[in-house]
Amino acid sequence: MELEEMKTIWGEMSAEIEKQKKLTDSLIIKMTQVNYRSKIGKIIVPEIIGSLVCVATALFIFINFQQLGIWYLQVCGVASAVISLLLALLSLRAVNKLSSINISNNNLKQALSDYSKGKIQFVFVQKLTFYLGAVLMLTILPVMCKLIDGVDLFKVTRLWMWYVVAFPFFRWFTTWVFKRYKKTIQGAENILKELAEA
Amino acid sequence: MNSKEKFIKVIKENAGLIYKVTKVYTNSREDEQDLYQEIVYQLWKSFGSFRSESKISTWMYRIALNTAIAHLNKEKRKGSYIPIDELLLNKPDLNDTLKEEQVEILYSQIKKLDTIEKGIILLYLEGKSYDEIAGITGFSTTNVGTRLGRIKQKLITQIN
Repeated sequence: MELEEMKTIWGEMSAEIEKQKKLTDSLIIKMTQVNYRSKIGKIIVPEIIGSLVCVATALFIFINFQQLGIWYLQVCGVASAVISLLLALLSLRAVNKLSSINISNNNLKQALSDYSKGKIQFVFVQKLTFYLGAVLMLTILPVMCKLIDGVDLFKVTRLWMWYVVAFPFFRWFTTWVFKRYKKTIQGAENILKELAEA
Repeated sequence: MNSKEKFIKVIKENAGLIYKVTKVYTNSREDEQDLYQEIVYQLWKSFGSFRSESKISTWMYRIALNTAIAHLNKEKRKGSYIPIDELLLNKPDLNDTLKEEQVEILYSQIKKLDTIEKGIILLYLEGKSYDEIAGITGFSTTNVGTRLGRIKQKLITQIN
């Protein structure tokens, strides 16, 4: 098949499509409304709920900070509160990013460039969130045990030993999780490189 | 005529354009319906700001292509859209089996191209000039020409 032939086939198909007027007014209106509701519900709400939970956790720790008493629990408390606030901030930033790419004014080149840069940034944030989440899991456990049950986990268990055992496993798990992002980053970088050459 | 009525008229007159973009940028029927609705939604969202400085089809191609790229970059959102009968998406009724087969081959070859190439060849097949393609895509006219040359070669090698 030669290119002119392709153009002819495309033209005939387009003419057939033009003959058909099957879309109804109500269907067009429905398409715009359903999409709008799904956007609000499926993306923004879970992110906002997650952020609120993080902020509430940080507030709970700050309000009850005096009850932590000993220095190492206080260190864990400060770390947990700061990480919770950071996670909330990252989540809200992600929501804000959703609406920052201008579909109506951008051209194909700009849109591709924005999305490729966004992808690279997304992977960076994912990695950061993953590390912060892992540290939070370690620090929040003794803090919550103390604040809710009044128990110092470092005294009643050999918690620190578990931390030592868990570290190599975490290192291996992180490498495994991040391997799948490599392809995404590479693809995005290739597109940016190609666009820069244009 | 109010803006909603005007919008409906524009969509009905250019439904084929949306259909072709969705067909080129998706691989399943479900995805096709999702993207179709996403494009209509984005067009409606920007309809108020459309000034008649450019042709309506140029404006529509730009938004449809950008939405397709955005769609490729989003995670799957199953069940977010209203189910539409495929027939309502202006799928061509080609009575000739051979022609239908040729159209399918053409689509399948275009789908093998990368994101930028798909957009450029779609606009070329739609009869747009190099200048118009450059205006819609943001590439220079010379670059459009070079890319089209490469795409043509690629398509010919793929098909033959």
